[in-house]
Amino acid sequence: MQEKLSQFHVAILIYMIQSGVVMFRLPQILAENFGTNGWLAILPVSLIVVLNILLIGVVYRLGKGASIFEILEQSIPRIILFPFYLILVCVWAMIGCLITKNYVLIFQMVAFPTTNPMVFKFVLDILIFFLLIQSIYNIAKASTVFFWLLIWMVLLLFFYYADFQWARLTPFIFRGSSATVEGAFSIYSSFAGYTLCLLLFPYANKKTKLIKAALIGHLITTINYIYYCFIAFGFYYYEQLKTLQFPILNLLAYIQLPFIQATENLLYGFIMFTIIVTTVMYCWSAKEVSRRIFPINERLLSAIIIVAAYLFSFIPDISSEVEQWLAYLGYIEFGISFGLPLVLIFVLLIHRKRGAAASE
Amino acid sequence: MSRQHVSILLLTLLILLTGCGDQRILERTGFIQVTSYDLLKDGRIQFSISIPKADPEIKVSREFLTTVAQSGKEARIKLARQTNLLLVSGQLRTTLFGLSIARDGFWEQLDTLLRDPTTSEQIKIVVVNGVAHDMLKKNYKEYPRTGKYIDRLIEKEAKGHTIPVTTLYSFTRDYYDDGIEPVAPIVKDAGKSIEVDGIALFHDGTYAGKIKADDTLIFAFLRENFKHGEISLDLAKHTKESKTVMLSSLNSLRKMDISHKGEHANVNIDISLKVSVVEYIGELSLGNKAHRHKLEQQISEILTHRATRLIQYLQEKKVDSIGVGIYVRNSMTYRAWKKLDWYEEFPHVNIQCKVKAKIKDYGFRR
Repeated sequence: MQEKLSQFHVAILIYMIQSGVVMFRLPQILAENFGTNGWLAILPVSLIVVLNILLIGVVYRLGKGASIFEILEQSIPRIILFPFYLILVCVWAMIGCLITKNYVLIFQMVAFPTTNPMVFKFVLDILIFFLLIQSIYNIAKASTVFFWLLIWMVLLLFFYYADFQWARLTPFIFRGSSATVEGAFSIYSSFAGYTLCLLLFPYANKKTKLIKAALIGHLITTINYIYYCFIAFGFYYYEQLKTLQFPILNLLAYIQLPFIQATENLLYGFIMFTIIVTTVMYCWSAKEVSRRIFPINERLLSAIIIVAAYLFSFIPDISSEVEQWLAYLGYIEFGISFGLPLVLIFVLLIHRKRGAAASE
Repeated sequence: MSRQHVSILLLTLLILLTGCGDQRILERTGFIQVTSYDLLKDGRIQFSISIPKADPEIKVSREFLTTVAQSGKEARIKLARQTNLLLVSGQLRTTLFGLSIARDGFWEQLDTLLRDPTTSEQIKIVVVNGVAHDMLKKNYKEYPRTGKYIDRLIEKEAKGHTIPVTTLYSFTRDYYDDGIEPVAPIVKDAGKSIEVDGIALFHDGTYAGKIKADDTLIFAFLRENFKHGEISLDLAKHTKESKTVMLSSLNSLRKMDISHKGEHANVNIDISLKVSVVEYIGELSLGNKAHRHKLEQQISEILTHRATRLIQYLQEKKVDSIGVGIYVRNSMTYRAWKKLDWYEEFPHVNIQCKVKAKIKDYGFRR
């Protein structure tokens, strides 16, 4: 029998999928869109995500843990579903590869300005491929290991206590800003990824308490974000945060050890672990969906997805382009996050009604 | 070897070889440690750098290069033509700004430094009372090479809070904050050595005045809380029985209270100091409680007087370098604060300052 995911592993997995490069920009986005004490804006966005996860929970309960493909395919003809599946595959594979590309571009700017970023991405993609051909259970285990390699970085925030000033936070809430829908959306995109737990249904059992685990994972992300951004707002004045490209990178760079200067290079390297997990999980989701269309060897399918994604990532070649693409994909992902569970609930309810009618 | 081994080997090779794409060889790299900026009369900038040398064949301990250019990065290209080393700014520790460029404002130079991802935000910003290029060029025989000398001097002095630690981070932070103005240490050439000359005050990024070296500690406890400090006070002018007192391990706590009665804000600054007396010349006997209280009072009065004078100076110069604005801002509504022109308002704010000193110990003599 296939091993089932444990609650702990799912929580960590969700956290690892959610956190990524957007976090580095988050304080800037918050300062620009919400102004003073912008870090508070994380809360309502996080709440929306909680509602979304609960919506997924309804699907899980109504479908009694059945895979979403089974739910869809029992009511909707495959011909109609395939184009939809294809969209899912494309969106998820594209998000996956662009996240890596974005990471690589930033890394290259900071550390190796003249090396071709695609070489870096190639190496990363090989690592991603090796993880991708494992079972989801092993991916979850690997991401738990990565989690421990990463989470200690929270302790680094002690470095900033000396320069943190409460008075700098100001008593004003959300003043001095020019809020845009785009900006508010980028905050949401820093949480994106939790939707993938829709695909984990068949790999969980009652003991997993999948939805609770997803909520815990999301809670860790929220606390982590709030903590980082809160420190950033007390460390820099919000007007300055607006001018910084990657405030969290600046924070990391501020740590200066007697024997090492550019600490951010080293620390930024650690972030690679969450990037790997995020990309692997998006590609894994793409693979899961494409298996429905092309029932071929899984390894081959993984290889095809990785290669296709790699080739695709040649197209946007500078950071701002990648971010633009990611923003568009973020809108689609938002649609999927709410749309897919709603469709599933609708299908399940109709099915149940029919079932009830049939048994009468 | 199995197929798995081969693939692992290939993968490792691949990862390691990626690093060869962008090589930096230590011996061929010039780590800029100090830079200096001076504004010339024609509006261009004289830009100088100092690079420590590690080559055993060359006797000098550092390389000094200078050029004239429109901007910092243009200057770097020009400087690169003069040296066999690849110039990098990742090890930059100190930037010196001559008085000429400080008066004109050096925000553009800082902007460039902030944009460069390789430079650290911990770079020290130092103003030179005079020409920065001349100071950096000069070798001070009895001290380490000039750049390191200034760097260590500033670091050591900052530890004792006689001057604020001004890094690229703290300068830009205060520059962007609308409730406080940035400051920077100011040094001068004293012939055979370099001397801390006080604290440079900035008004919207341009040099606006200086706090004398003797008053820097008083400025320090008006600006922030701190744990270490030393000050020597001349009591002879103000009292009959005491001549001088030297206070050490100074521990300060600042409290700012704002009230809005009348047209302008009222600010009460309460500073409580805990001090160790390490030197006292006078007739009071510190073992005696009443005498000790008397001395505490004398110290408090003198410090209050000097702090009040310093605040008056700041108000005259219209520079809120001690951050009164932060507290005034936080006591108002956002709209009212934005309507207020703090530069113009600051001189009219009614600031009362009170220093209260407490002697925590007085050494081995009673």
